[in-house]
Amino acid sequence: MAATASEPKKVTLTTSDNADISVEREVAERSILIKNLLEDIGDNGDAIPIPNVNEAVMKKVLEWCEQHRKDPPASQDDDADSRKKSTDIDEWDQKFMQVDQEMLFEIILAANYLDIKALLDVGCKTVANMIKGKSPDEIRKTFNIQNDFTPEEEDQIRRENEWAEDR
Amino acid sequence: MTDLRGGMDMKTYMGLYTAIHNFCTAQKAVAGATTFSAHNNRGGAHLLGEDLYQHLIEYLKSHLQGVQTRSRDHVDEALLTFYIKEWNRYTTAGQYNNHLFRYLNRHWVKREMDEGKKNIFDIYTLHLVRWKEDMFIGTQESVMRSVLKLVEKQRNGETIEQSHIKSVVDSFVSLGLDESDSSKSTLDVYKEYFEKPFLAATGEYYNNESKQFLAENSVVEYMKKAEARLDEEKDRVPLYLLGEIMSPLMRTCEQSLITSHSQALREEFQILLDHDKQEDLGRMYKLLARIPEGLDPLRNRFETHVRKAGLAAVEKVAQEGENIEPKIYVEALLEVHTQYQDLVNRAFNGESEFVRSLDNACREFVNRNKICKSGSNKSPELLAKYTDTLLKKSSAKMTEEDDMEKLLTQIMTVFKYIEDKDVFQKFYSRMLAKRLVQTTSASDDAETSMISKLKEACGFEYTNKLQRMFQDMQISKDLNTSYKEWLEQNLDGEDLKKAIDTTYHILGTGFWPLNAPTTPFTPPQLIVQTYERFARFYNHKHQGRKLSWLWQLCKGEMKANYCKVVGTKVSPTFQVSTYQMAILLLFNDSDTVTYDEITEGTKLGKETLDPSLGVFIKAKVLIASPDGAKPESGTTYKLNTGFKTKKIKVNLNIGIKSEQKQEVEDTHKTIEEDRKLLMQSAIVRIMKSRKKMKHQQLVSETINQIKNRFMPRIPDIKKCIDILLEKEYLERLEGDELGYLA
Repeated sequence: MAATASEPKKVTLTTSDNADISVEREVAERSILIKNLLEDIGDNGDAIPIPNVNEAVMKKVLEWCEQHRKDPPASQDDDADSRKKSTDIDEWDQKFMQVDQEMLFEIILAANYLDIKALLDVGCKTVANMIKGKSPDEIRKTFNIQNDFTPEEEDQIRRENEWAEDR
Repeated sequence: MTDLRGGMDMKTYMGLYTAIHNFCTAQKAVAGATTFSAHNNRGGAHLLGEDLYQHLIEYLKSHLQGVQTRSRDHVDEALLTFYIKEWNRYTTAGQYNNHLFRYLNRHWVKREMDEGKKNIFDIYTLHLVRWKEDMFIGTQESVMRSVLKLVEKQRNGETIEQSHIKSVVDSFVSLGLDESDSSKSTLDVYKEYFEKPFLAATGEYYNNESKQFLAENSVVEYMKKAEARLDEEKDRVPLYLLGEIMSPLMRTCEQSLITSHSQALREEFQILLDHDKQEDLGRMYKLLARIPEGLDPLRNRFETHVRKAGLAAVEKVAQEGENIEPKIYVEALLEVHTQYQDLVNRAFNGESEFVRSLDNACREFVNRNKICKSGSNKSPELLAKYTDTLLKKSSAKMTEEDDMEKLLTQIMTVFKYIEDKDVFQKFYSRMLAKRLVQTTSASDDAETSMISKLKEACGFEYTNKLQRMFQDMQISKDLNTSYKEWLEQNLDGEDLKKAIDTTYHILGTGFWPLNAPTTPFTPPQLIVQTYERFARFYNHKHQGRKLSWLWQLCKGEMKANYCKVVGTKVSPTFQVSTYQMAILLLFNDSDTVTYDEITEGTKLGKETLDPSLGVFIKAKVLIASPDGAKPESGTTYKLNTGFKTKKIKVNLNIGIKSEQKQEVEDTHKTIEEDRKLLMQSAIVRIMKSRKKMKHQQLVSETINQIKNRFMPRIPDIKKCIDILLEKEYLERLEGDELGYLA
C-alpha cells in the first residue's frame, strides 16, 4: 500500500506496432496475463511486449482498466448466474463500447488474449445486445455476413428450432 | 518446447504465451469451416489444444525419464538432495507453465473437464501427475529408504538435516491428487508411500531396541527409557512430519515399546508395590495407560495387594487379643487406606478405576478380617466405639475442633466400607443415647457434624432417630425450665425448700434404644414424692402420655452430713445411681441394716443389688459384718461413720461390668431381630408391587434392596419368606412362584 500511496509503480507495455505505453502496474494487472508474468519473472524494468495488440486497441483496453482498477477480482463461481444471464451493462461501459464494429471486435480479441475476463464479458454482451430481437437477415446485415446456407438447409434448421420461435 | 532451467526474460515469456494463444486461435477458422457434424457440435466454437497438450505430456515424460535415470547415480542423503532439488525445479517450472498455458487451461482444458473427461488436468496438476507416474513410482522406494536411514541416524543420536525429510514429506503430500476432482487433494499417496514404511521402520527399530535394552537393564530403567523415547517421537512430529501422523506413530511406538513388553512390566508391578516405589509406579501407570486394556491386570493386582496389606495390618493388631482397643483397630485400617489412597492419587493420577479397586480392597479387609472372624459385626461395633471415645467428654484429650473434624472424616472413610451399616447404627445410637442422658458428650457441634455426615452417607432415614434423640434433649431442657416455674407457683415456700432439685429427660420411646429396667425396684418415698409431682405437672401439660422411669439411667447426689472432707468443714457429696441412693437412704433410719432388709426395702434384684453394694464396701462407705462377708442373707451392713475422703465429690456411680457386656449382647440380639423385620418388610414391599414372583427372583431383589444396610444371607431370607407364608402374607403358587395375599 505504501508504494501505491507515494508513487504508483509503473510498467511499460510495447504494442505490436512498437509503441511504448507507460501505465500503472495496478492498472496493467487487470490483465491476468500481465499479472502472472510480473509475478513469475518479476518486474525488472523491461518493457513488456504485447505482440497481439496494437497501440489503438491497447489504449482503449487500458482506458477500461483504469476505470475498473478497483473492481474486486471475479471469483471462480461468479460466472454461474448473474453475470451470464443478464445483458445489463453499466452506463460507463455502454458508452465505452460505443465504437465502430471493428474496434469492438478488436477489444474482445484483446481481452481474450490478455485474459481480462470482465472486459471480455462486457464486449460479448454488447455484441449479444446487437443481435437481440433481430431476424437472421437483419443479423447478416448488421455483421456483414454472407448467407452460405442452401434453402433446404435453412428449412431444416427452421424446423429443428421451431420450438424456439417467437409467436 | 520449453526448458526453463536457464531463467527467462519477458520477451520469451510473452512469445511463448502468444504462440500458445495463436496456436489455439489460428486453427479455429479451419475447425469452424468444417461442416456441421456430431463430433464437433459442442454448441459453438471448437476449441483446439489437444495436440499441444499431448506434446507437453511427451515432453514431460522424456524430461522425467532423464531425471529418473540420473537419480540412480545417487544414494542415501545425496539422493535426497537430488530428489528435492529436482522436485523444486520441476514444480517451479510447473507454476510457470501453468501460467504460460493459461490460455489452454482457460479454454481447451476447461471444456474437456466440463465434459467430464478423465485424465485431463490443468497444466500444473498435469505436471504433478506426470511426476507421480514417471518419476515417483520408480524412485520412491529408494527415496524412502534414504529417509528412513536418516531418521534412524537421528534416533541413534546423530544430527541430521531435518529439512530434507520435511521437503520429501511435502512433496509426497502434493502428489496426493484426487482422481475425481483435481481441485482437491488427498493424503493417499503420502499415507501409502511415506506413512506406511515410516511406521513399519519405527516399529522394527523399537522392537529391536527395547528387546536389547530389556535384556541388559532392569525394568525400572527400561520404563525411563521408554518414556523418554515416547516423548522424543512426539517431539519429532512437529519438526518435520505431518501432524496427521501423530496418532498412528504413537500407536506404533506404544505397540513396540509397551504392549510387547506389558507382561514384563506387570511382573515388576508387584515388586514396586512391595517396595512402595511411587515414582516408578507412576511411570508404569503412565506407560500402560497408553495401551488399550493395559491397566486392567494392574488394577487386579493392586486390589489384591491392598487387601493383603489390610489383612496383614489387622492380623498384627489382632495379636493383642480378643479385647482389642477400638482406636488401635480403626487406626490400623485407616493407615492402610491412607497409604494406598495416597499412592492412587500420586502415582495413578487418582484414576477412577484404581479408586474403585482400592474401594473394593478396603471393603474386603474392613468387613472380612481376622477380628471379624466371628462375623462382620465386629468392624462396625469397634468403629462405633471408637467414635464414642472421640465424642465423649474426657479431660485427658481435648481435641481441637479441626482435629475433631478430621477424625470424624476419617471415621466416615471407614464407615463407607462397612457393609453392616445397621450394626454401626445400633451401636452408635446406643452410645449416643448414653452420652446424651449422662451428659458426657464433649461438644454439640461435633455430635451434629457426625450426624450430618451419616445423613449424607446413608440418607434421612438412617439418622432420623439420632436426630429425634437430639430434639428430645432440647425439648427436655425447655420442659425443665417451665417445670421450675410451675413449682414456684404451685408450692408454698416450705415445700419448695424441702423439694429435691431435679432434672428430667423425656425421651420418646420409639427413638431411643433404651430398655426398661431389668430389675424390680421400689423407689424410696422421697423420690416417689418428687417424681409424682413432676408426673402431675407433665400430665397437665400433655394429657394421655405415659411416663415410664428408666431407673437404671438415673443418678443423683447425696450429701453425707455425718462426716467431713479431710481438712475442711464441708461434708462430702456422693454421686450415686438411683439404686444406690435407695440403699443409702435406708441408713437414714438406722446405722445398721441387714441384707434382707435392703432387699425388702428396695426390691432390687440380686444381680443389681450385689454389685451396687460392692461399690460401697470397696469405697468403705459401708462396712460389712462379718468382715468380708458375701452379699447374702445374714450379712449386716453398717454405715462407716469414720469415712475419710479428700474429695468434695465422691463418684460412686461406677458402671457395672456385667451390665456392659450384657448390653453388647443385647445390641447384637436386637440387630438380628431388626434385620428379620427389615427383610420381611422388604419382601412384602416387593411382593405388593409385583403380586407374583419366582422364589429366586424375590431373593435377589430383596438382597438388592437391603444391601446398603447389610449383606443379607440367603438362608435368612428364605426363613423370612417362610415366616410370611405362615402369616399368610404370601402363598405358594404353581411351580416356583409366590403370590401376594392382600
